[in-house]
Amino acid sequence: MLNVENLHAGYSGDDAVRGISLQVAEGSCVALVGANGAGKSTLVKALCGLLIPRSGRVSFDGKEITGLPASEVARRGLCLCPEGRRVFGPLTVEENLLLGAYPRLPSFGPFRRAASSDLKHIYGMFSRLGERRLQQAGSLSGGEQQMLAIGRVLMAKPRFMVLDEPSMGLAPVVVKEVFEAIRTLHASGMTILLSEQFARIALAISDRAYIIERGSVVLEGPSKELAKNPGVMAAYLG
Amino acid sequence: MDATYIALAQMAVGGGLMGMAYALVAYGFQLTYAAGKAVNFGQGELVMLGAFAGISLAGTGLPYWVSVLGAMVAGAALGWLVERVAVRLALKQHNEGWILLTIIVGLFALSSVENIWGREDRAFPAPWPTGALDIFGISVTWPELAIAAGALGIMTLVELAKRYTMAGIAVQAVSADPEAAELCGVRSRSAISLSWAVSGAAAAFAGTVLGPVTTVGPTMAAALTLKAFSVAVVAGLDSGFGLLIAGIALGAAENLSGYVLGSGWREAPGLILLILALAIRPQGVFGKKIIRKV
Ligand SMILES: Nc1ncnc2c1ncn2[C@@H]1O[C@H](COP(=O)(O)OP(=O)(O)OP(=O)(O)O)[C@@H](O)[C@H]1O
Ligand SMILES: [Mg+2]
Repeated sequence: MLNVENLHAGYSGDDAVRGISLQVAEGSCVALVGANGAGKSTLVKALCGLLIPRSGRVSFDGKEITGLPASEVARRGLCLCPEGRRVFGPLTVEENLLLGAYPRLPSFGPFRRAASSDLKHIYGMFSRLGERRLQQAGSLSGGEQQMLAIGRVLMAKPRFMVLDEPSMGLAPVVVKEVFEAIRTLHASGMTILLSEQFARIALAISDRAYIIERGSVVLEGPSKELAKNPGVMAAYLG
Repeated sequence: MDATYIALAQMAVGGGLMGMAYALVAYGFQLTYAAGKAVNFGQGELVMLGAFAGISLAGTGLPYWVSVLGAMVAGAALGWLVERVAVRLALKQHNEGWILLTIIVGLFALSSVENIWGREDRAFPAPWPTGALDIFGISVTWPELAIAAGALGIMTLVELAKRYTMAGIAVQAVSADPEAAELCGVRSRSAISLSWAVSGAAAAFAGTVLGPVTTVGPTMAAALTLKAFSVAVVAGLDSGFGLLIAGIALGAAENLSGYVLGSGWREAPGLILLILALAIRPQGVFGKKIIRKV
């Protein structure tokens, strides 16, 4: 469903992503595992249009999307839940969720009515968001903000979800909760690309994984096999 | 009450009502700054163009309200255009060239106005009654009331639209985090264009309500940009309420200094305010953020 060929991307200096190729099949959950600064975020930003790749090809559903603006990539159903959550702090929880569905809501019409059943669905999944729906998103705890960021992506009815370090800055209990939610999504058929520093939890949840070091793929394969690889587990404790 | 105090109060009230128009123009700065971290240094020219457009439309026999609406449409189109031709290009190249470019577009607008409408000041025809209202011994004219009601009305309308339409919520999202908004499928360039159009419409509207009070001419533009800028600098670029207070204070101070010190001193408070604000905030009015690419 997603096919990346020999992608190079970076910021002002050297490439931070140096010739990465990867494939994600429909319905699967694929993990990107790598240490701090390995280039995971740079890779997912280049996939989702936040960063224009220097070279290489990204295709989604057989169509090339390399270099499309992020809003167009999102409108095609490839949606990123960014690192650090990036909820709209001054807006309410509900407004954040509504923005997730922005492309299919009327700009000047009765948008709350158009989105009400989808909102109900999200509040059913994450009840704490429902309780806090009129609160400013900036006032939520880290875990709640992560739920909100995931809920916002789900409001888009994505066909492919990219999650960049959903565990970042969260307490272990909350990490467990977040990954439980991701597992449930995967079980319901969602295609997921998950970038994560902590190998153990990422390999436990995914079908396949790519190990990334300094901008390149150093190992790839079924997550079960990688989890048995002592080298991997020693390098990426967690 | 002493006659002098009444006269002073009279001056303060009349000036304060005028000052609400400054607040409205400054509100236009706030809108574009929030969405795209840039402002139009030729905003005063948009006010002037709005006023001239209104005069010409009314001159063709159109009803007053239709002329005002037409002026606002012209202002919206011009605001949108300024962003397209001056601001977007410079921000793409990561520089502050847009400051100079918006000034240049403004100067271009000014010379076009002088060529089309001439250099003479003109009266703006308005359907208001000629008499004045007496409020606790202070007389308030209808055109002055129209400025206050118009400025409040436009600002309230825009604030409501920001909260209660999806387009408005999207503009707020772009202000808060343009990348995250893009990830939601919001085309941030369109949101920025929209805010420039609304800002231009507000400026043109300010011209149509100021015109009946001050008359309309090419000299109004630069003065208005400066005054609105002083108001925005003092009030900051995040609170509409603060703009109103600062605008009213500036308008009142102008009238009072003109009355007490002589008409040559009318413009002094705005300039002093600007110099003070720049001295107190030496890091620059907008801080470092203004250089950041959207
Ligand atoms: N905005 C930026 N500007 C310049 N360099 C950056 C920027 N963001 C990241 N880098 C650099 O690019 C490299 C890859 O960073 P990236 O954020 O992709 O790593 P990561 O694998 O996501 O790490 P983490 O686990 O910390 O999120 C690093 O060397 C980093 O310093
Ligand atoms: Mg990262």
